[in-house]
Amino acid sequence: MAEPPALSISGLSKTYADGFVAVSGLDLEIPDGAFFGLLGPNGAGKTTLIGSVCNIVRPTTGTLKVFGHDYRSREARRLIGLAEQEINVDRFLSIRQMLIYHAGYHGIGRRAASRRADEMLELFGLEHKATSRAYELSGGMQRRLVLARAFAHRPRLLILDEPTAGVDVELRAEIWRLVKDLNAGGTTIFLTTHYLEEAEALCDEIALLRAGRIVERGSSIALRHRHTARDISEVYRRVITAGVAGH
Amino acid sequence: MSAHEVVTRRPPPSWDAPFRTERSPLLWLFEREVVRFLTIWKYSIVGPVLSTVLFVIVFGTALGRHVANIDGVSYGRYIVPGLLAQAMVNVGFFNGTTTIFEARRDRYIDDIFSSPLRWWEINVALVGAGMVRGAVVGAGALACAIPLTGAGIARPLIVVIGTLGVLVVASQVGVIAGSLAKSLDHVYSMESIILLPLGFLGGVFYSVNQLPRPWSVLSRFDPVFWLVQAERNGFLGHGDVSAGWALLAVWGIATALSVWSASIFASGRLKP
Repeated sequence: MAEPPALSISGLSKTYADGFVAVSGLDLEIPDGAFFGLLGPNGAGKTTLIGSVCNIVRPTTGTLKVFGHDYRSREARRLIGLAEQEINVDRFLSIRQMLIYHAGYHGIGRRAASRRADEMLELFGLEHKATSRAYELSGGMQRRLVLARAFAHRPRLLILDEPTAGVDVELRAEIWRLVKDLNAGGTTIFLTTHYLEEAEALCDEIALLRAGRIVERGSSIALRHRHTARDISEVYRRVITAGVAGH
Repeated sequence: MSAHEVVTRRPPPSWDAPFRTERSPLLWLFEREVVRFLTIWKYSIVGPVLSTVLFVIVFGTALGRHVANIDGVSYGRYIVPGLLAQAMVNVGFFNGTTTIFEARRDRYIDDIFSSPLRWWEINVALVGAGMVRGAVVGAGALACAIPLTGAGIARPLIVVIGTLGVLVVASQVGVIAGSLAKSLDHVYSMESIILLPLGFLGGVFYSVNQLPRPWSVLSRFDPVFWLVQAERNGFLGHGDVSAGWALLAVWGIATALSVWSASIFASGRLKP
């Protein structure tokens, strides 16, 4: 059987209860093993798109498949790891417990879950905070914790929504190094970020989202060439900023 | 080999492997819910047990000396079943409302929704943990009330079936309220405006047959009345209504609430 794309979205729309149309007729396919970047201004629909894929938001219409599985199936859920933009952590548990229970929600046994939690704590430099509560950690450590949780069950598709928002330069470099290594090892990365130069350096393909629609897509070289731009920031300005102004 | 190497060199899982569990995700979530209330045991267990025991001491033991026996039972013994029902209802309500409301407010419910947990597993785990907390508080309060009042169990089977029903009702009410609450104000106002009056007017401290009409009839529309009657029939061997009617009503309410609660989770209404 041919390997399906990591993510396949067709005709996705989301209209919230207050009538706001966050995503409108969106089609998207991300191949397995890709490092894919989604760029767009606040309110463009990035988080709604990610929420729909991750079963957090109810799409109004559309078909979403994760490695060929319906996005709501257990097979699909097991293959996705999500690090949300917000620090959404369980404040009743220690950070080690949090990682163990997260692995447990993915059906992992107690011993393996404990081992994975310890690996994640070491990988993200949080071993000395294992018994702390999340609210006792610094902002950078909380960000690391969210990333550790996203990867604790070893997903095949890792979705990172603004993973470096509010972190210092050093931690940003650390996060990108890890994410690049994960991608080199076969994990598909779906990234949203406001750091355009980093998206350009990391992603093999970039899509620009405006008002709930993908308005441009391609490798950074192809995009620069298409828009005769010096860098992806210039492409972004021409496609997004000019588009918004002309809207 | 460093953790970085261990993690990054490990190949990702196969995309076409069926989902298999080493341990049920439902059990993990249920355990997390129990751990949650155990980490705050002073508030979640000791507080409700203490307040119930204080009711037993003040109303049952101290004031009870000045109140005539009801249906041949001392006042202290008479109010114990109702107080247990009320304690379990309060605890189940607060467990469900706080755990769901906080998970929604702090958005760590996203971690659960994005996992392979199915909607009914989430529902069962939350309700089950609320029942365990209610049972622990009920057992603690009973253990203190027995030496204070000489309370006993007249019909153990009725107590077991009735208490299970009361725990389901209490926990489901909490889960439903937590799902519908839009703010912390909603959570607390539901407790003080709805739950507390229903508890006090549900015959915890008196027999509704002592009330004049129409109050004795209207009391039967209060769901807490039936919860109290199920417990009172089990502990005392009699109540304002027969044990059969009380159990039928309690389990009827439990079934209706379970259907409502399940529909909230199945329809995905907890998600935007």
